[in-house]
Amino acid sequence: MAEISFPLPDLGEGLIEATVLEWLVSPGEQVERNQPLVEVETTKSAVELPSPQAGKVVRTYGGPGDKINVGEPLIVFEVPDNTAGIVGTVPKEEAPKRRVRLSAVLDED
Amino acid sequence: MSNSILEGRDAAGESTADDTVTNTAADSPASTTVMSMQQALNRALDEVLADNPKAVIFGEDCGRLGGVFRITDGLQAKHGAQRVFDTPLAESGILGMSVGLAMAGFHPIPEVQFDGFAYPAINQIVCQIARMNYRSRGTMPMPITLRVPSFGGIRAPEHHGESLEALFAHVPGLKVVSPSNPHEAYHLLKYAATRPDPVIFMEPKSRYWQKGEVDTARHDAGGGSPTGAKVMREGRHLTLVAWGAMVSRCLQVAELAAEDGIDIEVLDLRWLKPIDAEALAASVRKTRRAVVVHEAPLTSGLGAEVAQLITQSCFDTLKAPVERVTGFDVPYPSGDLEDEYIPNIDRILFGIQRVLEYKRG
Repeated sequence: MAEISFPLPDLGEGLIEATVLEWLVSPGEQVERNQPLVEVETTKSAVELPSPQAGKVVRTYGGPGDKINVGEPLIVFEVPDNTAGIVGTVPKEEAPKRRVRLSAVLDED
Repeated sequence: MSNSILEGRDAAGESTADDTVTNTAADSPASTTVMSMQQALNRALDEVLADNPKAVIFGEDCGRLGGVFRITDGLQAKHGAQRVFDTPLAESGILGMSVGLAMAGFHPIPEVQFDGFAYPAINQIVCQIARMNYRSRGTMPMPITLRVPSFGGIRAPEHHGESLEALFAHVPGLKVVSPSNPHEAYHLLKYAATRPDPVIFMEPKSRYWQKGEVDTARHDAGGGSPTGAKVMREGRHLTLVAWGAMVSRCLQVAELAAEDGIDIEVLDLRWLKPIDAEALAASVRKTRRAVVVHEAPLTSGLGAEVAQLITQSCFDTLKAPVERVTGFDVPYPSGDLEDEYIPNIDRILFGIQRVLEYKRG
């Protein structure tokens, strides 16, 4: 298993930080892609951040009232090794299958 | 691991202490651990940074994120943002900066995030990195280790599955190497990162997560060399030549062929420039038949070079022309089609069968 860290994303409009209002997931929980993770408040509005990916929550950063800067760690997921890359997926390793058989008369000269 | 193997290693360690040993923990009996290629590369880079204060690592997302494949994971936190850092999304800049850093006495270890992203940096690689040492009469070496996550197999979009070895191998002044498993990845990267010459290090990205035993103390139990090719499986009837991700597939094919009574030798070429012609000759002199397998397109691929080197040394005893089993002469397809493009087990078996049934005259 591998860990992937997700930082507080740029929330737009030049905002550089957000305050955690409420975590909607907790460590140990399996989350799906786009599932709401946390409610944060900026100087503009309160928003729910959707999960960028599926995975098991390992830890979260900051409790209600804590400020987090854009780019600082927000949450860490645990994912299977073969999906830890951000681009692409590695097909599951399967036992080799064949349709072709070999035939040869091997003279050992 | 048995005691006798350990004793043998210790004894050999005294007599073969030359540059073939990338030795960091020779006295540790627990030097063999199981890790993925990603972990092996990460560890190698960590140790290179610790060993060489002039080594610097940079590329798109290499710093804070730790790389899209986690190869540089944790290195910025450990070694600092002066030595492991993010670059703008501009490969010509990444490699151009590498030239300047090398001139200033650093050992740059840049990354282009994917094979197909190396194209924008071809001018810097070919016109500067490859020939600066030559141009300056040896006064300006370019100790640059360019890591390129390479080849296909991860269902990724365009420019994320290309095989550029023939392109790089054709350029005088560059060395090209590709590891096939975690153990090779650890040792070949540590070796490459100590070279005075530019090395293109092609990482088989579809193998990043496969685990294998890594002996960090010694490249090979017999004191093998980090240069040249390596026999991964001995056989009598035919030599399969491969590199990168195709090595493990050829090892699978060799096991299947054994069911049919065909004993196949698998040669991991490892270094694609320079190619180990002696190892090719030694293997094919014994087996008298050869098939070379690569993901890159057929025409002007490295398979042609390998076939010629074998023909040159073994023409009189070859049982059949050297066969090539390769990708097709088309742009690398999207992920849904890549299993049809990359040589699969049956296409390799067909290639072997063509060689086996060849009749002279």
